[in-house]
Amino acid sequence: MGYEDMFPPMDSRWHGNATKRFASPFVDKPHDRIDVDPIILSNAAVSCGYTIRDFYEHPTLGIHCVGYISHLFDLLPVTHWFFSLPWVTELGLKLVYKETLPPISTGPIYSTPEDVDKMHIPSKDELIKKQGQHATVPLFYNLYDYVAKNLPMTLVPISYGFDLVGAAAELIGVENFIMWTFTEPEAAQKLVQNYTDTAINGAEALADKYGMAMLIVGSVLGNNDIFSDEAVNDYSVKNMYRYVDGCFKHGAGPQIFYHLCGNHQTDYKMFKDGLMWSPFTVIHAGYQGRNPFPSKLLKETFEDKATCMGSVDTKLMIDNNPNKVYNQAKEQLLQGRDSKKGYILGTSCETPPYTIPGQMLALVKAARDFGTYGTW
Amino acid sequence: MVQVTIPADVKELIAKRGLKEADVLAVVNDAAASKKYIKKGNMGLAKKVIGDLTVYVMSDLSGSGTAVVKTAYAHKMKLGKIVNVMSETEWKTADGKAVAQGHVEIEYMTVKRNGPALVDVASNEAYVEEYLATKTLAAAEGLFEKKRA
Repeated sequence: MGYEDMFPPMDSRWHGNATKRFASPFVDKPHDRIDVDPIILSNAAVSCGYTIRDFYEHPTLGIHCVGYISHLFDLLPVTHWFFSLPWVTELGLKLVYKETLPPISTGPIYSTPEDVDKMHIPSKDELIKKQGQHATVPLFYNLYDYVAKNLPMTLVPISYGFDLVGAAAELIGVENFIMWTFTEPEAAQKLVQNYTDTAINGAEALADKYGMAMLIVGSVLGNNDIFSDEAVNDYSVKNMYRYVDGCFKHGAGPQIFYHLCGNHQTDYKMFKDGLMWSPFTVIHAGYQGRNPFPSKLLKETFEDKATCMGSVDTKLMIDNNPNKVYNQAKEQLLQGRDSKKGYILGTSCETPPYTIPGQMLALVKAARDFGTYGTW
Repeated sequence: MVQVTIPADVKELIAKRGLKEADVLAVVNDAAASKKYIKKGNMGLAKKVIGDLTVYVMSDLSGSGTAVVKTAYAHKMKLGKIVNVMSETEWKTADGKAVAQGHVEIEYMTVKRNGPALVDVASNEAYVEEYLATKTLAAAEGLFEKKRA
Protein backbone atom coordinates (compact mmCIF):
# COMPACT_ATOMS: atom_id res chain seq x y z
CA MET A 1 0.00 0.00 0.00
CA GLY A 2 1.33 3.44 -0.91
CA TYR A 3 0.87 6.44 1.33
CA GLU A 4 -1.68 7.79 -1.15
CA ASP A 5 -4.12 5.10 0.02
CA MET A 6 -4.07 6.46 3.56
CA PHE A 7 -5.42 9.93 2.81
CA PRO A 8 -8.84 11.03 1.56
CA PRO A 9 -8.76 12.84 -1.77
CA MET A 10 -8.04 16.56 -1.74
CA ASP A 11 -11.08 18.81 -1.55
CA SER A 12 -11.12 20.55 -4.90
CA ARG A 13 -13.40 23.37 -3.66
CA TRP A 14 -10.97 24.24 -0.89
CA HIS A 15 -8.02 23.87 -3.19
CA GLY A 16 -9.53 26.08 -5.90
CA ASN A 17 -10.11 28.91 -3.46
CA ALA A 18 -6.67 28.51 -1.87
CA THR A 19 -5.06 28.59 -5.31
CA LYS A 20 -6.70 31.89 -6.20
CA ARG A 21 -5.68 33.30 -2.83
CA PHE A 22 -2.10 32.06 -3.25
CA ALA A 23 -1.85 33.83 -6.62
CA SER A 24 -3.11 37.13 -5.19
CA PRO A 25 0.11 38.82 -4.12
CA PHE A 26 1.96 37.91 -7.29
CA VAL A 27 -0.54 39.18 -9.84
CA ASP A 28 -2.24 42.08 -8.05
CA LYS A 29 -5.54 40.25 -8.05
CA PRO A 30 -6.75 40.25 -4.44
CA HIS A 31 -8.75 37.21 -3.44
CA ASP A 32 -10.11 36.31 -0.02
CA ARG A 33 -7.40 37.25 2.50
CA ILE A 34 -3.69 37.43 3.19
CA ASP A 35 -2.29 33.93 2.90
CA VAL A 36 -0.72 32.13 5.86
CA ASP A 37 2.46 30.08 5.55
CA PRO A 38 3.71 28.69 8.87
CA ILE A 39 6.42 26.74 6.97
CA ILE A 40 4.80 23.51 8.00
CA LEU A 41 7.14 20.49 7.91
CA SER A 42 7.27 17.66 10.43
CA ASN A 43 4.32 19.24 12.27
CA ALA A 44 2.19 17.93 9.42
CA ALA A 45 3.36 14.36 10.08
CA VAL A 46 2.88 14.75 13.83
CA SER A 47 -0.63 16.10 13.18
CA CYS A 48 -1.39 12.95 11.19
CA GLY A 49 -0.11 10.61 13.90
CA TYR A 50 3.44 10.08 12.70
CA THR A 51 6.79 11.08 14.14
CA ILE A 52 9.32 13.71 13.25
CA ARG A 53 11.61 10.96 12.04
CA ASP A 54 8.82 9.51 9.87
CA PHE A 55 8.50 12.86 8.15
CA TYR A 56 12.15 12.94 7.12
CA GLU A 57 12.70 9.22 6.58
CA HIS A 58 9.63 8.87 4.36
CA PRO A 59 9.49 12.00 2.20
CA THR A 60 6.41 10.94 0.22
CA LEU A 61 4.52 10.36 3.47
CA GLY A 62 5.79 13.70 4.74
CA ILE A 63 4.70 15.67 1.71
CA HIS A 64 1.28 14.01 1.66
CA CYS A 65 0.84 15.02 5.31
CA VAL A 66 1.76 18.61 4.37
CA GLY A 67 -0.89 18.67 1.65
CA TYR A 68 -3.51 17.17 3.93
CA ILE A 69 -2.88 19.39 6.94
CA SER A 70 -2.68 22.50 4.76
CA HIS A 71 -6.38 21.94 4.05
CA LEU A 72 -7.19 21.53 7.75
CA PHE A 73 -5.80 24.98 8.53
CA ASP A 74 -6.63 26.64 5.20
CA LEU A 75 -2.96 27.25 4.38
CA LEU A 76 -1.20 27.14 1.01
CA PRO A 77 -2.46 25.03 -1.91
CA VAL A 78 1.04 23.81 -2.72
CA THR A 79 3.15 21.10 -1.12
CA HIS A 80 6.75 21.10 -0.03
CA TRP A 81 9.17 18.85 1.80
CA PHE A 82 12.75 19.63 2.71
CA PHE A 83 15.46 19.63 5.32
CA SER A 84 18.41 21.94 5.71
CA LEU A 85 21.22 19.83 4.26
CA PRO A 86 20.58 19.08 0.59
CA TRP A 87 23.59 18.35 -1.66
CA VAL A 88 25.98 17.55 1.21
CA THR A 89 26.09 13.78 0.75
CA GLU A 90 27.16 14.44 -2.84
CA LEU A 91 30.10 16.37 -1.41
CA GLY A 92 31.02 13.55 0.96
CA LEU A 93 29.12 14.11 4.22
CA LYS A 94 27.21 11.29 5.86
CA LEU A 95 23.78 11.99 7.30
CA VAL A 96 21.87 10.08 9.95
CA TYR A 97 18.23 10.21 10.93
CA LYS A 98 17.27 11.33 14.42
CA GLU A 99 14.07 10.81 16.33
CA THR A 100 13.39 14.48 17.00
CA LEU A 101 15.47 16.28 14.41
CA PRO A 102 15.91 16.48 10.65
CA PRO A 103 18.84 14.39 9.36
CA ILE A 104 22.16 15.62 10.73
CA SER A 105 25.77 15.16 9.71
CA THR A 106 27.98 12.55 11.38
CA GLY A 107 30.78 15.10 11.34
CA PRO A 108 33.08 17.21 9.19
CA ILE A 109 35.11 15.63 6.40
CA TYR A 110 37.54 18.41 5.56
CA SER A 111 39.99 20.17 7.83
CA THR A 112 42.40 22.24 5.73
CA PRO A 113 42.17 24.83 2.94
CA GLU A 114 44.02 22.32 0.73
CA ASP A 115 41.07 19.95 1.17
CA VAL A 116 38.80 22.66 -0.22
CA ASP A 117 41.08 23.16 -3.22
CA LYS A 118 40.74 19.47 -4.02
CA MET A 119 36.93 19.36 -3.70
CA HIS A 120 35.12 17.87 -6.66
CA ILE A 121 31.93 19.69 -7.65
CA PRO A 122 29.53 17.05 -8.95
CA SER A 123 28.14 17.69 -12.40
CA LYS A 124 24.43 17.58 -13.15
CA ASP A 125 24.75 14.03 -14.48
CA GLU A 126 26.70 12.89 -11.44
CA LEU A 127 24.01 14.35 -9.19
CA ILE A 128 21.29 12.54 -11.13
CA LYS A 129 23.15 9.23 -10.92
CA LYS A 130 24.08 9.57 -7.24
CA GLN A 131 22.77 6.70 -5.13
CA GLY A 132 21.83 6.44 -1.48
CA GLN A 133 18.92 7.47 0.67
CA HIS A 134 19.97 11.11 0.90
CA ALA A 135 21.03 11.54 -2.74
CA THR A 136 19.31 14.84 -3.40
CA VAL A 137 18.24 14.70 -7.04
CA PRO A 138 16.87 11.13 -6.95
CA LEU A 139 15.13 11.94 -3.66
CA PHE A 140 13.37 14.96 -5.13
CA TYR A 141 12.62 13.22 -8.46
CA ASN A 142 10.90 10.47 -6.49
CA LEU A 143 9.10 12.99 -4.30
CA TYR A 144 7.79 15.16 -7.13
CA ASP A 145 6.86 12.14 -9.23
CA TYR A 146 4.76 11.00 -6.26
CA VAL A 147 3.12 14.41 -5.97
CA ALA A 148 2.54 14.62 -9.73
CA LYS A 149 0.72 11.29 -9.53
CA ASN A 150 -1.18 11.67 -6.28
CA LEU A 151 -1.48 15.39 -5.49
CA PRO A 152 -0.93 16.94 -8.91
CA MET A 153 -2.72 20.20 -8.21
CA THR A 154 -0.28 20.90 -5.37
CA LEU A 155 2.92 20.30 -7.31
CA VAL A 156 5.55 23.02 -7.34
CA PRO A 157 8.95 21.51 -8.11
CA ILE A 158 11.34 23.25 -5.75
CA SER A 159 15.12 23.18 -5.75
CA TYR A 160 16.71 23.99 -2.43
CA GLY A 161 19.92 25.90 -2.15
CA PHE A 162 18.73 26.44 1.38
CA ASP A 163 21.48 27.63 3.70
CA LEU A 164 24.47 28.03 1.41
CA VAL A 165 26.78 29.12 4.22
CA GLY A 166 25.51 26.76 6.89
CA ALA A 167 25.51 23.66 4.71
CA ALA A 168 28.99 24.43 3.38
CA ALA A 169 30.19 25.03 6.95
CA GLU A 170 29.10 21.50 7.90
CA LEU A 171 31.81 20.14 5.60
CA ILE A 172 34.55 21.50 7.87
CA GLY A 173 32.52 21.95 11.05
CA VAL A 174 30.59 25.11 11.86
CA GLU A 175 33.00 26.34 14.56
CA ASN A 176 35.95 25.76 12.26
CA PHE A 177 34.17 27.61 9.46
CA ILE A 178 33.56 30.63 11.67
CA MET A 179 37.26 30.62 12.55
CA TRP A 180 38.19 30.34 8.88
CA THR A 181 36.23 33.49 8.08
CA PHE A 182 38.95 35.27 10.10
CA THR A 183 42.00 33.14 9.41
CA GLU A 184 41.34 31.60 5.98
CA PRO A 185 38.73 33.84 4.33
CA GLU A 186 39.59 32.76 0.78
CA ALA A 187 39.18 29.09 1.62
CA ALA A 188 35.95 29.80 3.50
CA GLN A 189 34.60 31.68 0.48
CA LYS A 190 35.72 28.93 -1.90
CA LEU A 191 33.99 26.33 0.26
CA VAL A 192 30.68 28.20 0.10
CA GLN A 193 31.07 28.73 -3.65
CA ASN A 194 31.71 25.01 -4.19
CA TYR A 195 28.56 24.13 -2.29
CA THR A 196 26.64 26.82 -4.18
CA ASP A 197 27.83 25.53 -7.56
CA THR A 198 26.78 22.00 -6.61
CA ALA A 199 23.33 23.30 -5.70
CA ILE A 200 23.13 25.12 -9.05
CA ASN A 201 23.89 21.89 -10.92
CA GLY A 202 21.17 20.22 -8.89
CA ALA A 203 18.66 22.94 -9.71
CA GLU A 204 19.38 22.39 -13.40
CA ALA A 205 18.66 18.67 -12.99
CA LEU A 206 15.26 19.49 -11.49
CA ALA A 207 14.47 22.21 -14.04
CA ASP A 208 15.36 19.87 -16.90
CA LYS A 209 12.85 17.30 -15.69
CA TYR A 210 10.00 19.55 -14.58
CA GLY A 211 10.40 22.54 -16.90
CA MET A 212 11.01 24.93 -14.03
CA ALA A 213 12.11 24.80 -10.42
CA MET A 214 11.23 27.28 -7.73
CA LEU A 215 14.31 28.29 -5.76
CA ILE A 216 14.46 28.39 -1.98
CA VAL A 217 17.61 29.86 -0.57
CA GLY A 218 18.30 31.39 2.79
CA SER A 219 20.72 33.08 5.08
CA VAL A 220 20.61 31.03 8.23
CA LEU A 221 24.11 30.68 9.65
CA GLY A 222 24.79 34.03 8.02
CA ASN A 223 23.07 36.20 10.61
CA ASN A 224 23.93 38.91 13.10
CA ASP A 225 24.22 36.55 16.08
CA ILE A 226 27.36 35.18 14.45
CA PHE A 227 28.59 37.54 11.76
CA SER A 228 28.99 41.26 11.05
CA ASP A 229 26.93 42.85 8.31
CA GLU A 230 29.97 42.77 6.05
CA ALA A 231 30.56 39.06 6.63
CA VAL A 232 26.89 38.29 6.01
CA ASN A 233 27.22 40.20 2.76
CA ASP A 234 30.45 38.49 1.70
CA TYR A 235 29.51 34.93 2.53
CA SER A 236 25.75 34.85 2.32
CA VAL A 237 24.35 37.64 0.14
CA LYS A 238 26.95 37.30 -2.61
CA ASN A 239 26.54 33.54 -2.79
CA MET A 240 22.75 33.81 -2.76
CA TYR A 241 23.10 36.07 -5.80
CA ARG A 242 25.54 33.59 -7.37
CA TYR A 243 23.06 30.78 -6.71
CA VAL A 244 20.01 32.48 -8.20
CA ASP A 245 21.90 33.87 -11.20
CA GLY A 246 23.48 30.45 -11.81
CA CYS A 247 20.13 28.72 -11.51
CA PHE A 248 18.52 31.17 -13.93
CA LYS A 249 21.34 30.53 -16.41
CA HIS A 250 20.50 26.83 -16.19
CA GLY A 251 16.75 27.17 -16.59
CA ALA A 252 15.62 27.03 -12.95
CA GLY A 253 13.35 29.65 -11.41
CA PRO A 254 11.67 32.06 -11.92
CA GLN A 255 10.07 31.78 -8.47
CA ILE A 256 12.35 32.57 -5.54
CA PHE A 257 11.80 32.35 -1.81
CA TYR A 258 14.45 34.14 0.24
CA HIS A 259 14.48 33.00 3.85
CA LEU A 260 16.42 35.18 6.28
CA CYS A 261 16.40 32.90 9.29
CA GLY A 262 17.50 33.89 12.77
CA ASN A 263 18.60 37.37 13.84
CA HIS A 264 19.00 39.88 11.04
CA GLN A 265 19.22 42.90 13.33
CA THR A 266 21.13 45.15 10.91
CA ASP A 267 22.37 42.87 8.13
CA TYR A 268 18.94 42.93 6.46
CA LYS A 269 20.11 46.08 4.68
CA MET A 270 22.74 44.08 2.80
CA PHE A 271 20.14 41.98 1.02
CA LYS A 272 18.17 44.82 -0.53
CA ASP A 273 20.63 45.69 -3.26
CA GLY A 274 22.63 42.48 -3.12
CA LEU A 275 20.11 39.86 -4.19
CA MET A 276 18.65 39.03 -7.58
CA TRP A 277 14.93 39.74 -7.82
CA SER A 278 12.57 38.02 -10.22
CA PRO A 279 8.91 38.84 -10.89
CA PHE A 280 7.93 36.05 -8.48
CA THR A 281 10.01 36.65 -5.40
CA VAL A 282 9.07 36.38 -1.74
CA ILE A 283 11.36 37.64 1.00
CA HIS A 284 10.93 36.45 4.56
CA ALA A 285 12.81 37.63 7.64
CA GLY A 286 12.64 35.79 10.96
CA TYR A 287 13.95 37.92 13.78
CA GLN A 288 15.44 41.28 14.61
CA GLY A 289 17.37 40.60 17.79
CA ARG A 290 15.17 38.38 19.92
CA ASN A 291 11.92 39.74 18.49
CA PRO A 292 10.11 38.79 15.30
CA PHE A 293 11.34 40.94 12.43
CA PRO A 294 8.93 43.91 12.29
CA SER A 295 6.76 43.81 9.21
CA LYS A 296 6.89 47.61 9.05
CA LEU A 297 10.64 47.47 8.53
CA LEU A 298 10.35 44.51 6.17
CA LYS A 299 7.85 46.47 4.10
CA GLU A 300 9.88 49.68 4.11
CA THR A 301 13.00 47.83 3.01
CA PHE A 302 11.71 45.33 0.51
CA GLU A 303 8.23 46.24 -0.74
CA ASP A 304 9.62 47.71 -3.96
CA LYS A 305 11.48 44.49 -4.64
CA ALA A 306 9.30 41.55 -3.69
CA THR A 307 6.32 40.10 -1.88
CA CYS A 308 7.02 40.38 1.86
CA MET A 309 6.45 37.55 4.33
CA GLY A 310 6.18 38.62 7.95
CA SER A 311 6.76 36.52 11.02
CA VAL A 312 5.11 35.43 14.22
CA ASP A 313 7.57 34.10 16.79
CA THR A 314 7.72 30.31 16.46
CA LYS A 315 7.97 30.02 20.27
CA LEU A 316 4.40 31.25 20.52
CA MET A 317 3.19 28.32 18.45
CA ILE A 318 3.90 26.05 21.44
CA ASP A 319 2.79 28.53 24.14
CA ASN A 320 -0.60 27.59 25.53
CA ASN A 321 -2.05 31.06 25.08
CA PRO A 322 -3.60 31.43 21.60
CA ASN A 323 -4.05 35.16 22.08
CA LYS A 324 -0.28 35.64 22.09
CA VAL A 325 -0.22 34.28 18.53
CA TYR A 326 -3.36 36.16 17.53
CA ASN A 327 -2.15 39.52 18.85
CA GLN A 328 1.32 39.25 17.38
CA ALA A 329 -0.14 38.14 14.04
CA LYS A 330 -2.52 41.12 14.17
CA GLU A 331 0.37 43.50 14.84
CA GLN A 332 2.41 42.10 11.96
CA LEU A 333 -0.57 42.10 9.59
CA LEU A 334 -1.43 45.72 10.34
CA GLN A 335 2.17 46.69 9.64
CA GLY A 336 2.66 44.68 6.48
CA ARG A 337 -0.64 43.88 4.81
CA ASP A 338 -0.51 46.81 2.36
CA SER A 339 2.97 45.98 1.04
CA LYS A 340 3.10 47.06 -2.59
CA LYS A 341 3.79 43.62 -4.02
CA GLY A 342 1.71 41.72 -1.53
CA TYR A 343 2.14 40.24 1.92
CA ILE A 344 2.07 36.74 3.41
CA LEU A 345 1.78 35.99 7.12
CA GLY A 346 4.29 33.43 8.30
CA THR A 347 6.12 32.21 11.33
CA SER A 348 9.76 33.14 11.96
CA CYS A 349 10.90 29.73 10.75
CA GLU A 350 9.43 26.24 10.48
CA THR A 351 6.50 25.97 12.84
CA PRO A 352 7.56 23.61 15.66
CA PRO A 353 6.75 19.92 15.24
CA TYR A 354 4.47 20.00 18.28
CA THR A 355 2.69 23.21 17.35
CA ILE A 356 -0.58 23.44 19.25
CA PRO A 357 -3.54 23.27 16.83
CA GLY A 358 -5.26 26.15 18.65
CA GLN A 359 -2.23 28.33 17.96
CA MET A 360 -2.34 27.49 14.25
CA LEU A 361 -6.01 28.45 14.29
CA ALA A 362 -5.14 31.75 16.00
CA LEU A 363 -2.65 32.52 13.24
CA VAL A 364 -5.18 31.88 10.49
CA LYS A 365 -7.97 33.66 12.38
CA ALA A 366 -5.82 36.77 12.60
CA ALA A 367 -5.32 36.64 8.84
CA ARG A 368 -9.09 36.39 8.36
CA ASP A 369 -9.82 39.19 10.83
CA PHE A 370 -7.12 41.63 9.76
CA GLY A 371 -6.01 40.41 6.35
CA THR A 372 -9.23 40.11 4.37
CA TYR A 373 -8.86 42.08 1.16
CA GLY A 374 -11.20 45.03 0.80
CA THR A 375 -11.49 45.65 4.53
CA TRP A 376 -8.70 48.17 4.90
CA MET B 1 24.04 51.38 -43.27
CA VAL B 2 25.62 48.28 -41.80
CA GLN B 3 25.85 45.11 -43.83
CA VAL B 4 23.97 42.47 -41.85
CA THR B 5 24.49 38.73 -42.34
CA ILE B 6 22.27 36.09 -40.79
CA PRO B 7 23.86 32.63 -41.01
CA ALA B 8 21.58 29.69 -41.85
CA ASP B 9 21.65 28.18 -38.35
CA VAL B 10 20.68 31.52 -36.83
CA LYS B 11 17.87 31.91 -39.38
CA GLU B 12 16.60 28.55 -38.15
CA LEU B 13 16.77 29.68 -34.51
CA ILE B 14 15.01 32.95 -35.35
CA ALA B 15 12.18 31.07 -37.04
CA LYS B 16 11.94 28.63 -34.13
CA ARG B 17 11.51 31.55 -31.77
CA GLY B 18 8.75 33.03 -33.92
CA LEU B 19 10.76 36.06 -34.97
CA LYS B 20 10.91 37.57 -38.45
CA GLU B 21 14.16 38.15 -40.29
CA ALA B 22 12.93 41.62 -41.24
CA ASP B 23 12.54 42.48 -37.57
CA VAL B 24 16.02 41.23 -36.80
CA LEU B 25 17.43 43.41 -39.58
CA ALA B 26 15.45 46.37 -38.30
CA VAL B 27 16.89 45.95 -34.80
CA VAL B 28 20.46 45.95 -36.09
CA ASN B 29 19.99 48.78 -38.58
CA ASP B 30 18.23 51.01 -36.05
CA ALA B 31 20.95 50.40 -33.49
CA ALA B 32 23.68 51.15 -36.01
CA ALA B 33 21.98 54.41 -36.96
CA SER B 34 21.23 55.56 -33.43
CA LYS B 35 24.38 54.11 -31.78
CA LYS B 36 22.10 52.77 -29.07
CA TYR B 37 23.47 49.34 -28.28
CA ILE B 38 25.90 47.73 -25.87
CA LYS B 39 29.12 45.86 -26.53
CA LYS B 40 31.22 43.13 -24.94
CA GLY B 41 34.41 42.63 -26.90
CA ASN B 42 33.36 42.28 -30.52
CA MET B 43 29.79 41.36 -29.67
CA GLY B 44 27.03 43.93 -29.84
CA LEU B 45 23.59 43.64 -28.27
CA ALA B 46 20.78 45.77 -29.67
CA LYS B 47 17.07 45.86 -28.95
CA LYS B 48 13.90 47.31 -30.38
CA VAL B 49 10.28 47.21 -29.31
CA ILE B 50 8.30 45.72 -32.20
CA GLY B 51 4.59 45.33 -31.56
CA ASP B 52 4.15 43.53 -28.24
CA LEU B 53 7.67 42.18 -28.23
CA THR B 54 11.04 43.53 -27.28
CA VAL B 55 13.38 41.96 -29.82
CA TYR B 56 17.11 41.57 -29.14
CA VAL B 57 19.86 40.80 -31.59
CA MET B 58 23.40 39.85 -30.68
CA SER B 59 25.88 40.38 -33.49
CA ASP B 60 29.57 39.98 -34.13
CA LEU B 61 30.82 43.46 -35.02
CA SER B 62 34.47 42.55 -35.65
CA GLY B 63 34.28 43.28 -39.38
CA SER B 64 34.30 46.83 -40.67
CA GLY B 65 30.74 48.00 -41.36
CA THR B 66 29.36 44.50 -40.91
CA ALA B 67 27.25 42.69 -38.36
CA VAL B 68 27.03 38.90 -38.28
CA VAL B 69 23.98 37.92 -36.29
CA LYS B 70 24.76 35.33 -33.64
CA THR B 71 21.40 35.06 -31.96
CA ALA B 72 18.06 36.81 -31.62
CA TYR B 73 15.39 36.50 -28.97
CA ALA B 74 12.48 38.40 -27.52
CA HIS B 75 10.30 38.83 -24.47
CA LYS B 76 6.74 40.03 -24.05
CA MET B 77 7.24 41.85 -20.76
CA LYS B 78 7.67 45.60 -21.06
CA LEU B 79 10.74 47.06 -19.41
CA GLY B 80 10.20 50.12 -17.24
CA LYS B 81 12.27 52.28 -14.94
CA ILE B 82 15.60 51.19 -13.51
CA VAL B 83 15.08 49.91 -9.97
CA ASN B 84 18.66 49.48 -8.84
CA VAL B 85 22.19 49.47 -10.14
CA MET B 86 24.67 46.89 -8.90
CA SER B 87 28.22 46.07 -9.97
CA GLU B 88 29.68 46.93 -13.36
CA THR B 89 29.75 44.24 -16.02
CA GLU B 90 31.98 43.60 -19.00
CA TRP B 91 29.36 45.25 -21.19
CA LYS B 92 29.93 48.83 -22.37
CA THR B 93 27.77 51.31 -24.21
CA ALA B 94 28.62 52.10 -27.84
CA ASP B 95 30.59 55.12 -26.59
CA GLY B 96 32.47 53.08 -23.99
CA LYS B 97 30.58 53.81 -20.77
CA ALA B 98 30.11 51.07 -18.20
CA VAL B 99 26.95 48.99 -18.17
CA ALA B 100 25.96 47.55 -14.80
CA GLN B 101 24.02 44.58 -13.57
CA GLY B 102 20.80 45.74 -11.95
CA HIS B 103 17.05 45.46 -11.94
CA VAL B 104 14.26 47.12 -13.87
CA GLU B 105 10.57 47.32 -13.45
CA ILE B 106 8.83 44.91 -15.80
CA GLU B 107 5.18 44.98 -16.71
CA TYR B 108 3.04 42.15 -17.98
CA MET B 109 -0.75 41.84 -18.03
CA THR B 110 -0.94 45.13 -16.06
CA VAL B 111 1.20 43.72 -13.24
CA LYS B 112 4.45 45.49 -12.42
CA ARG B 113 7.26 43.56 -10.79
CA ASN B 114 11.07 43.54 -10.92
CA GLY B 115 13.48 41.59 -13.03
CA PRO B 116 17.23 41.44 -13.52
CA ALA B 117 18.76 43.30 -16.45
CA LEU B 118 21.83 45.03 -17.75
CA VAL B 119 21.34 48.72 -17.08
CA ASP B 120 22.81 51.76 -18.77
CA VAL B 121 22.06 54.56 -16.35
CA ALA B 122 23.29 57.31 -18.68
CA SER B 123 20.70 56.53 -21.34
CA ASN B 124 18.17 55.02 -18.91
CA GLU B 125 18.08 51.89 -21.03
CA ALA B 126 17.98 48.26 -19.93
CA TYR B 127 18.85 45.08 -21.80
CA VAL B 128 17.86 41.53 -20.92
CA GLU B 129 20.40 38.81 -21.66
CA GLU B 130 19.41 35.75 -23.66
CA TYR B 131 19.29 33.26 -20.79
CA LEU B 132 17.00 35.54 -18.80
CA ALA B 133 14.68 36.30 -21.72
CA THR B 134 14.35 32.77 -23.03
CA LYS B 135 14.24 30.97 -19.69
CA THR B 136 13.42 33.13 -16.66
CA LEU B 137 11.14 35.74 -18.23
CA ALA B 138 9.52 33.22 -20.56
CA ALA B 139 8.62 31.05 -17.56
CA ALA B 140 7.44 34.12 -15.65
CA GLU B 141 5.19 35.16 -18.54
CA GLY B 142 3.66 31.69 -18.45
CA LEU B 143 3.08 31.94 -14.71
CA PHE B 144 1.46 35.37 -15.04
CA GLU B 145 -0.87 34.04 -17.71
CA LYS B 146 -1.79 31.04 -15.56
CA LYS B 147 -2.24 32.97 -12.32
CA ARG B 148 -4.18 35.82 -13.92
CA ALA B 149 -6.55 33.40 -15.64
